[in-house]
Amino acid sequence: MNANAEPAATNEQTRLLQEKLEHAIGQLEQASSFARLNFQSPVLELAGRMLAQPGGIQQLYALAPRLDDAELFDGTDWAEPGALLPSLVHNTLEQGSKSLVILECLSELRLLAIAKGVHKHEGISVEQARHFLTQVLALNLSYQFGLANETQRTRLGRLGDGLQALFRYLLEHIGFENILGSLIEEIWRILAQRPIQVDGVKTMVTQIALTLTEGVGNIGEALLGSDRLISALFSPTQGCLDDPGMEVYLLRLEVMDFPTLQREAYGFSRAMLDVGLVSDYHAGYLRWLLQHEQSQLIPDALGLSSTGLDALRTYQDLIHKLIEEAIHPQTAQTVYGLAMLLERGILYSPPIAPGLWRQLNLQPSAQAKTALQTAYGDEVTPRVRLLAGVISVLGQPLGVGQGNNPTCQSARAISMWSYNDPDFLLHLIAQAARFDNIQMNFEGQLIASAELPPGLASDIPLDTDPVSIVLVPHLDRVYHAMGEACVGRGEDPHRWINPEFHGWWVGREFFIAVDVATGKMKQDYTHYLAQFYRSYHPLYNGNQPVIHPQPAGIAVTDSNAQFVGWHAITLLRVALDQGEVMRVYFYNPNNDSGQDWGNGVVVSTHGHGERFGEASLPFPELASRLYIFHDESIPMQTDMIELPTEEFDQVQDMALKSWAALRHPTVA
Amino acid sequence: MTPKNPDKGYVAILGWSVNAINALENFDRRYVIVAPSWAEEYAKEHSIPFISWNFEQLNECSMEIAEQLKKEGVDVAIPLFEETVEWAGAINSVLLNNPRFMGQSLLFRDKAMMKRRAQLGGIRVGIFEEAHDRDDVIHFLKRVNQALLKLDGDPNDPIHLKAFNKAGCLGHYVIRTPDDVANIPDEEFPALVESHLDGWEFAVEAFIKNRKIHFLNISEYVTLGYSVFVPATPDLEKWRPQVVAEIEKLIETFDIDFGFIHPEYFVTSDGKMYFGEVAYRPPGFNAFELIERAYGFSAYQALVMMFDPKTTDEEIKAFFPREVVDAKGHAGCFGVYPRRRVISELKIPEATENDSYFEFHELQSPMQNKVPKRSAFGTHWGLVYFFGEDPYRLRDLLKAQEELDYYI
Repeated sequence: MNANAEPAATNEQTRLLQEKLEHAIGQLEQASSFARLNFQSPVLELAGRMLAQPGGIQQLYALAPRLDDAELFDGTDWAEPGALLPSLVHNTLEQGSKSLVILECLSELRLLAIAKGVHKHEGISVEQARHFLTQVLALNLSYQFGLANETQRTRLGRLGDGLQALFRYLLEHIGFENILGSLIEEIWRILAQRPIQVDGVKTMVTQIALTLTEGVGNIGEALLGSDRLISALFSPTQGCLDDPGMEVYLLRLEVMDFPTLQREAYGFSRAMLDVGLVSDYHAGYLRWLLQHEQSQLIPDALGLSSTGLDALRTYQDLIHKLIEEAIHPQTAQTVYGLAMLLERGILYSPPIAPGLWRQLNLQPSAQAKTALQTAYGDEVTPRVRLLAGVISVLGQPLGVGQGNNPTCQSARAISMWSYNDPDFLLHLIAQAARFDNIQMNFEGQLIASAELPPGLASDIPLDTDPVSIVLVPHLDRVYHAMGEACVGRGEDPHRWINPEFHGWWVGREFFIAVDVATGKMKQDYTHYLAQFYRSYHPLYNGNQPVIHPQPAGIAVTDSNAQFVGWHAITLLRVALDQGEVMRVYFYNPNNDSGQDWGNGVVVSTHGHGERFGEASLPFPELASRLYIFHDESIPMQTDMIELPTEEFDQVQDMALKSWAALRHPTVA
Repeated sequence: MTPKNPDKGYVAILGWSVNAINALENFDRRYVIVAPSWAEEYAKEHSIPFISWNFEQLNECSMEIAEQLKKEGVDVAIPLFEETVEWAGAINSVLLNNPRFMGQSLLFRDKAMMKRRAQLGGIRVGIFEEAHDRDDVIHFLKRVNQALLKLDGDPNDPIHLKAFNKAGCLGHYVIRTPDDVANIPDEEFPALVESHLDGWEFAVEAFIKNRKIHFLNISEYVTLGYSVFVPATPDLEKWRPQVVAEIEKLIETFDIDFGFIHPEYFVTSDGKMYFGEVAYRPPGFNAFELIERAYGFSAYQALVMMFDPKTTDEEIKAFFPREVVDAKGHAGCFGVYPRRRVISELKIPEATENDSYFEFHELQSPMQNKVPKRSAFGTHWGLVYFFGEDPYRLRDLLKAQEELDYYI
């Protein structure tokens, strides 16, 4: 921008541009759907130039509702503002063509108009729009402070200035305290679910740290929440309080006396267990302990309880070897997985320790190597990456996430095996990583993944944990082969697939809320509910806790309670929370389980008795979205207890007002 | 969609143009699009009234479409492209029960016949000849230059060669030497050859109903084949009375009751008008879009009004703005040709991008790095649009584009 430009000339420029944009929008507004494309590009072109004008943002913000109503976004990926993902914005801005960048910017202004209540668009509420923008701001903090890189400037030219102006404008309206506050809240909420994949969280925390060192703005109370996050990553102990860098830190360790070293151990474990993030220094420290014969501090550094300590003492060689091989600053987060692995006590199951020894020496196949390198680069070898991944998955069964892949079934299976059948999971990983093949049986028929065409995950998934990267493509193929074997049976294939795919413990009886032929809700839906209550509700099933994790299906709805799709979850537990509310605790392979399913059904991830990684809902609310579950066919001696039929009516009502809104049962 | 008025005509549009259909969606006339089958699926998908017709086939079934449209209740057919002009003539002969329309359309389609007819009507034209092969062209070139008393070795005055039945700059060659003749492909023959007129070339868009001009626009060419803008500069607009008189002569000579014509003229420095050619369809270079930009009315809707037998005088009066004075500004466009032989990307010149008259462009990124050699005036790679208040500034801006690289 030329600061010396005369305001009068600039105003004239803006006025002329305004006239042109006005005309182009007018043309778009009167365009029929088929001609819209012809009129979209002039609007984008002119809006892009307006964006770079001083005061252009305000003009465009005022026009945003009109642009939206004129269907500027129609036919593009931005058509449904409710379906936009904040995480994709950055990529579009960094790599998208000029017109896509402009479209993205205009979409942000449209969302701001929605967030401010001056515009409405079906499928997105004021809060959702605000939430979206908050996330976009948080994920693109670099634009706030002119940190945009030079390549971008070259690529976008004057539009680059416009982009910064846009983010400053969004920030003025959303507020920095606001984004930092909600960003930090968001990070804590996600960390409370203890995901295995924390790269996104780490990036955000790093951004916040950078922002704060730049000394930007008055952020007030938000600082407190951010402090803990930043220190957990960069300065969890006295020894690294000033984030000195690994080399300096290791030198400092050399001169520490034992009590100081021990305080370091406590500091690391406290930060890790409290926050769920592992500092690189933590990994460096553990390696240093082993190399300097201070391994007696490892339990303190891992924050182990008596269970974990006992497991560590029992399998000391194995654990030391795992630390030596798998724990590096580049795989620091695995420290948490290792601690949890010890705490779970699964090492006492005879096949686990030898299974891990196999994993230690396992060289992945060329194919598995390529997949791991594509996803993670070569900071550490693919073997180490996979080993670290195995430790994490075994330590955090509920931390497995499907990434941005349509493979909820496979992610759920990995989680379920880690939870319930870890030695089988180790077997599958070894098979897939070494032979590029896994074998399963379906109704007596052998299915070998190597012989099958790709399923849904036709590309290697890149945004998930190392075990999933190796295993999901195989599982996905097998799952689809099983599905194909069921074609033509006229019933939901999960009836047969679920027990064969997951394991013997899946109940052989299958219950579904939908009439497969018509796609509508079953006429005897209340009977279906009765089955569910008899099977899973402790007050009606003779107080029988869930024994094995059970696969189940839910009809996912959005925050407007509109049907989104069928989704796989695992039922884990049913229990009373601290408020005497009977809740179903379940695992959702989505990366973030905290979801709003509409009409007041909001999935909780902490604060209601959830263990890390569990999601929960009051029993009837979960029942209202459940459409598939399994149980054993053994009849329970619980017929004496009267079922809560009134509650069934409420549940049915909730179902009919959400996923079954367009699936009302046909009256015979 | 604008509700359709049953008291107004039902029109058939010959040819596929999204902008035209969009204008019709927003107009009160019922319409049906007659276009090749490749557009059928798209039309169906968007509920566009559609009849599939192959305009390239000429056989004993050709009149079927006229009968079909008559049965459908269509009042009149309107051609959008050069190739559909004679189809419209033939169809309208049937629909309006007047065989004259067929013959008239053939005059518009054959440039030599057109010139002869104009000459018969007392309209001033240059010297022209029909050329059947390259020898005819060379012969004409020599004769013209002999007549100009040029000596051997003097640079020749150029002549123009135009394919009989192609629109606009397609098949238009400027010939200065016999060597140029060798470059003309066989398929351009037979062709019209004519002397070069050292005048100011411009085009006219005239909307005619009941043999009267209801709206007349003068499009000023900055450089033929590159750029045009509307309305013209006062320098050219000062000839408007003479232009109107010339168009009235055309109406008489070509017996035009209604419709839309797009003739080209040269005006020499002494104010003499030379007729170049005339087309009975919307002009190229998106002149309709430019007229809409400058005046704010849809030229496609105007076109339909002119053809529709049920259009009333009051309706016409209310529809058109006053020429020149009612224009909101001047709209122009520039056809981009790559200037380099090897290119790698599209980049709007900075001077253009920062100019407040620049609107938008329709250019695509290049698919290949090598630029094919341009034959005749060729087709441009896309248009760049400009709009502003000062016609002279616009003219100079359009001229300046010729020296800028859009593809580098």
